[in-house]
Amino acid sequence: MQALLEIADLQAPGMRQPVNWRIGAGQLWLLYGPSGSGKSQLLKAMADLIEHDGKVLLEELAADSMPAPVWRRQVMYFSAETAWWMETVGEHFIQSPSAQTLQQVGLNDTILQQHPDQLSSGEKQRLALLRGLAFEPKVLLLDETSANLDPDSTLQVETLLQDYLQQGQRAAIWISHDQAQRDRLACPTYCCSIEELQKTSPQAQEA
Amino acid sequence: METQMILISYWDLAMLSVLVALMGGILWLQGFTHVGQYFWANVRAVAQLSFMGVWLTWVFYADNPIWVALVGLIMLLAAGYEIAKRQQYRFQKYSSILIGLMSLSVTALVLLVAVLTLVIQPDPWYQPQYAIPLLGMLLGNSMTAIGVGLDNLTRNTKQLKNKIEAQLALGYSAKESMKFIKQQSLHASMIPVINMLVAAGVISLPGMMTGQILAGASPMEAVKYQIMIMLLIATSTAAGTLIAVEMAAKKLFDERQRLHLSVLEKAKK
Repeated sequence: MQALLEIADLQAPGMRQPVNWRIGAGQLWLLYGPSGSGKSQLLKAMADLIEHDGKVLLEELAADSMPAPVWRRQVMYFSAETAWWMETVGEHFIQSPSAQTLQQVGLNDTILQQHPDQLSSGEKQRLALLRGLAFEPKVLLLDETSANLDPDSTLQVETLLQDYLQQGQRAAIWISHDQAQRDRLACPTYCCSIEELQKTSPQAQEA
Repeated sequence: METQMILISYWDLAMLSVLVALMGGILWLQGFTHVGQYFWANVRAVAQLSFMGVWLTWVFYADNPIWVALVGLIMLLAAGYEIAKRQQYRFQKYSSILIGLMSLSVTALVLLVAVLTLVIQPDPWYQPQYAIPLLGMLLGNSMTAIGVGLDNLTRNTKQLKNKIEAQLALGYSAKESMKFIKQQSLHASMIPVINMLVAAGVISLPGMMTGQILAGASPMEAVKYQIMIMLLIATSTAAGTLIAVEMAAKKLFDERQRLHLSVLEKAKK
């Protein structure tokens, strides 16, 4: 099968070993491993946000064959701690999300007029997800995106993401420390620890 | 209206310095811990100005463009050094001084040459009596504004790193991601200039105008010079800060538009 995203010998500061990985369209991978093992660094390197060795290819096009912002719109990193730089939540969106979309993740549309500092980290995490999805990235790199969510919202976010991945050439890697979440979404096929990834040779990943 | 300027004797100055010594003593009694710095700053000002007096007398007398250029160069370097010195976070490898020098020279120097050759037109145009005081006023003001702007930019970048990286991750360019920080830096550096302009002639009598009036010039002529200076300062501070902030913001990113805070190092105190 042709890979949507291909990673060859990718290594960034903070990672012990280089990583090889092939990710097919429609796949949702759940990544786990102890803190400080370089999971976030791996995702940031994939989005070309930090310096790294090795190559990342999206539909056979290398990251450095296009301007970095173009790459990041397609291979998008969602950080564990969200950040907001404008006065209201709504200003951060290229296009205001509909009340229906907000409702899907358990939010009310009055939230768009609020100042980001007034919101809980769980609300901000869901809004940051919608903020990025508005650009329709092909690969989502989710860094503990549901870490601050209550069980109901977690399920809502999972459903939203699974629906998103159904539409066309899309895939996601999700860092999660929640065993139940991994079992629910991906295990055993698309579940892996960072240590396994770093041990595997590119050939073994072909399966 | 021409009146003879009344000359001050060295004895008069010595008397005034007694006042400073007295104030230093009172400050010390009140628990002010930097009396040494206060005295040292006064001594430095007297020494620097005296040196400038001797030096300028020589330059005026020698009437050689090379000397004028040399004085200008020394002033420019000193201003560049002062900009770098005021930064809490400096760029590595003298880049802060370079940014300072670049932004100063393309604004203050260019404006100075333009105003000498096109507006005042002394003969020759580099006549030190005009060139050096004008350069001093332009450099002094630009230096302050650029220093504040750069310091604000680097400190905010360090503090608001997450907000920049969040924008980069969303596919915004380095330039777009720095916009909110650049706005704050420009604000911080231009506010003092705007305040100075607003106060001119109502709350404060600018130094140069006062000097010309003391020297016997008619107030209206002195005012015209002062207006010219104010307009030049308004231009050079704005242009200098814009260039410095733009250059600095660019230096914080690599060719793949990744933020590199490692180019900044904390100034040693």
